[in-house]
Parts: sequence; structure tokens; C-alpha cells
Amino acid sequence: MLPKNKVVITVTGLALVALFWIYWVSANPMDEKAMVKFISVQEVLHTENHERVRIGGIVADGSITLSSTNKLEVAFTLKEGDSFLPVEFIGTRPDLFKNGAEVIVEGLYQEGSFHADILQTKCASRYEGDLRDASSYYLDEIEI
Amino acid sequence: MTPVLGSVSLSLAAGFGILSIILLSLYIRSDDYRFFLAGRRMAIIVSVLVIIATLVLVKELITSNFDVDYVAHYTSIETPTVYKFTALWAGQSGSLLFWIFILSIYSLITIFQNRNRYHRMMPWVLCVILTVQLFFLILTNFITNPFEPTNADFIVANGLGLNPLLQNLTMAIHPPVLYLGFVGFTIPFAFTVAALLTNEKGSLWVRSIRRWSLVTWLALSSGIMLGGWWAYQELGWGGYWAWDPVENASFMPWLTGTAFLHSIIIQEKKNMLRIWNAILIMLTFALTIFGTFLTRSGVMSSVHSFTESSLGPIFLAFVAIIVTVCAVLIFHVLPNLKSNKHIESLTSRESGFLFNNVVFVTMCFAVFWGTIFPVISEAVRGTKITVGPPFFNQVNVPIGLLLLMLTGVGPLLPGVELPEVTL
Repeated sequence: MLPKNKVVITVTGLALVALFWIYWVSANPMDEKAMVKFISVQEVLHTENHERVRIGGIVADGSITLSSTNKLEVAFTLKEGDSFLPVEFIGTRPDLFKNGAEVIVEGLYQEGSFHADILQTKCASRYEGDLRDASSYYLDEIEI
Repeated sequence: MTPVLGSVSLSLAAGFGILSIILLSLYIRSDDYRFFLAGRRMAIIVSVLVIIATLVLVKELITSNFDVDYVAHYTSIETPTVYKFTALWAGQSGSLLFWIFILSIYSLITIFQNRNRYHRMMPWVLCVILTVQLFFLILTNFITNPFEPTNADFIVANGLGLNPLLQNLTMAIHPPVLYLGFVGFTIPFAFTVAALLTNEKGSLWVRSIRRWSLVTWLALSSGIMLGGWWAYQELGWGGYWAWDPVENASFMPWLTGTAFLHSIIIQEKKNMLRIWNAILIMLTFALTIFGTFLTRSGVMSSVHSFTESSLGPIFLAFVAIIVTVCAVLIFHVLPNLKSNKHIESLTSRESGFLFNNVVFVTMCFAVFWGTIFPVISEAVRGTKITVGPPFFNQVNVPIGLLLLMLTGVGPLLPGVELPEVTL
């Protein structure tokens, strides 16, 4: 066989094996955290399945309660549209976690409450918000 | 007054950019050197105007002119001066302006370095750079203008301030260094396209773009590492590396860029693998634009995405255009590019480089697959499936081990001399 053909065959073979490997890993993930369904709060409430899911929403105002004995435990209500879901989380909370923050949680829904083991915040809306909410005033309010 | 100067500079830059492309095309058609000189001057003007616009925005940020919407949104009176300056790349329109600012500096360096060289390639090189500049100029002129005035109905007494997560000293280093790396791949890309179009066979230009890619690669690598360091400091950014879409966006061009850095040596020394190298650098460039799309569009939910905007489709269209044009170009010039030299043995250094390339490109594909999987699964099956770090870790381990093996075996293989002393 020509050396050139040998090289071509080896490289093509290697590439095919690699492609199959990528396909195999995505079809048979070793870890349950590798591939997680992203669904809405509505769907979590209406399907009684015990598989790991990821959901997003807003922390309902005034719903955050920290455990008195252990500052790492937090319970809050996740709001998405008109649906509400109680969430429990244990661990370090992101810097921007607060009332009204946009969050993503991942975990299991069991016995009416969502047990999250991953909690991520998106950026605080204040920094992308309307200037009218901040320290600005309308022209007609000024006495000239 | 001054914000208008910035705005006018940006519009003028777009105008001069179009003029320059027309003049350079006239030169390519008629071979009248005066067209080239005029076109090149226009290209210089475009870059200078962009730099002026950027300096104007910096001045507005430092002096807290809240009449400019961007300044009011990303800084406040209390923001420390260093972060007022870094707010230049904190928001969408500012970071797009910062992108063309760096490209303009690169463009000036390229024009200056090659003022007496490559007279056949340079018009094409400039045309490619100008096209990329024009794309970003259209964005900053018409879609997200950084000099947009604040709503005239009310007076802004104080701005909203910079997001506290961004008030970290790494903010002053990480984005500029990363951008230097991201934007830098435009120049080797432009040279490669020019070389394909003019059927340039020499190795001199290959040498200069290899050097250029090395510097760019260094900046991109440092940028990625600084990003990891910063993410570790912020709670909620997932530690050093979390395989977040935005992190992957910077990692994918790094992988193909690293592959390119290796195989370009073969082209420089033996004039082989020309098609493959062209594909690699085109891929790298397309991935940098795709990366900007990932960061800016909000298509992938990411903890790092700071703005969700309407820019997604425009960026995606630009990526599609780049890929289509590159594919057409490759098929068009394919007959001219076939090298009559072949790799002589399976255990030569040349084939070692080839295996290295396969490994890097595979890794890039694995990361790409994991990054876009949520979108694909939503389109195909209707449920969005998010991909977490375990997938990326598992899929990359064997590929990484193979790479580690090649790192050990590669230098021992006989074949082409490596450029050890010369950069």
C-alpha cells in the first residue's frame, strides 16, 4: 500500500472512531448530571416524574427564608408566569441571589417541593433596567 | 457636542469603508496602481475614524456624560475611574465598538507592515478586513449605537452604575486580552483568503501569518486563563471552568487555532496541506464570530450572558455567509491547490502533525456538539436538553489522553525541521 493511502486511511479511521465516541457519550451519559431536561415550572407541577430536571424563573418577592440553624439552607418560591414552585437548596448561594433575581435551578421534584442541588443566577435586572426607575427626573418636574 | 463627533466618525467610517472596497476592486480589475493607493488610504481613514469614535466614548465614560444612554446605563458618578474606563466593554454596543477598535489597530499594523510587500494579495487582504469592519460598523451605526442619546423626556442625575460582578480588577485585563486573541485571527484569515484568490504559492506570507497567529494564540490563551481565574473569584460563575456556552465560545477557536499553528509549519517548510490549513483558519475565524454570537444572542442560557438582544439572527447570518463564501472559495480553487508532494510515511513528523490536527478538531467538534445540543434537541424532539460539565469531561478524556501521547511521541518523529529558534 502507498504510504499516502496508509495515512489517509488511518486519519479517516481515527476521525470515524472519534465521531462514534462523541455520539456514544451523548446517547449513554455516564453521569445523570450530563444531560438534563430543561422544562417549565408548569410542566414540573403537572408531571409526577422523578427524573432530574432544570427549570428557570424568578425568585418570588419576600419568599426567601434562610434556615436559622444553618445559613446554607435556603427555601424560596420560584415564579414563572403564573406558576409557583417551592424550592429548597443547600449550599453556597451566588452573589446575586435575592428577591426578584432570575435564577436557574436543577434537581428533583419530590413531595410537592423541588430539591435543587444547582442554583445559578442571571444578571441583576437593575443593570439592564430602565433609567426612569433610577435617579432621573422628568423635565416638567423641574422649576425653571 | 462630543458624542455627535463619535457618532459622525462611525458613520463616516462606514462610508469610507464602502468607498475603499470599491477602489480596491477597481484596482483588482484594472491594475491601475493609483486605485490601490487611494483605496489603502481610505482603509487607513476607516481605522483612524473608529479609533477616534472609541476615544470619544472613553472620554464620555470618564467624564460621566449621562446624556449618552450607554454611559448612563453602565456607569454612575460613584463608579471608580478605572471601572468607568472598563465600562467601554461592559455593555453590548460598547463591546462591539471595542471589537472594531482592536480590528482597526490590527488593520493599521497590517497596512504599515506590508506597505511595500504583496502587491497582488494586499487589495484582497484589505477587502476582507474592511468587510469585517463594515459588518461591525453596520451594527454600531444602525442597530446598537453606543452614542445613542438618553431619552429626552427626563434628566438623568446619576447613571445605573456598573454591575458589581464586573467590578473586579480582572475586568481591566481579561476582556481586552481575550478580544486581542479573538479579533487577531481576522488577519491570518484575510491573508489566507487573499492567497487562495491570487493563487499565491510562496512561503513568505505563510511565515508572516504564522508569526501573527502565534501572538494572537498567546493572547487568546492568556485571555481564557484570566477568565477562569475571574470566574473562580465570583460566587456563582461555576469555578475555574464550567463548560458554560460562553466559555466554550472562546475555547473552540482556541482548539482550531492551535491545530492551525501546528500544521502551518508543514505548509511553510514543505508547501503541503494548503487546503487543510485554509479550512482550519476559516473555521477558526468563523468560530470567533460564532463565539460572539453565543455571547451576545442569549440563545444559550448562560450564567455569563449579560445582555440578551436581537443581534442573534444578524450574527448567525454573518456566520452563514462566511461559511458559504469560504466553502465556495475552497471548491473553486481546489484544482489549483493540489500539492504534488505526499506524506512519505505514517511515522513521520508530518503525519504526527496531521494526527494532532485530527485530535484538536475532534475535541472542537465535541465541544461544539455539547454547546449546541440544547438547541438541536429542542428542534428535533421538542424538549430542551441541557448539557452539563460531566458530558464534556467524559467525552474529552480519551481524546485528551491521545493528545498527551502525541505530545510525547511528536518531537521524536523524524521529518520536517521544527522552527525552534525563530519565532
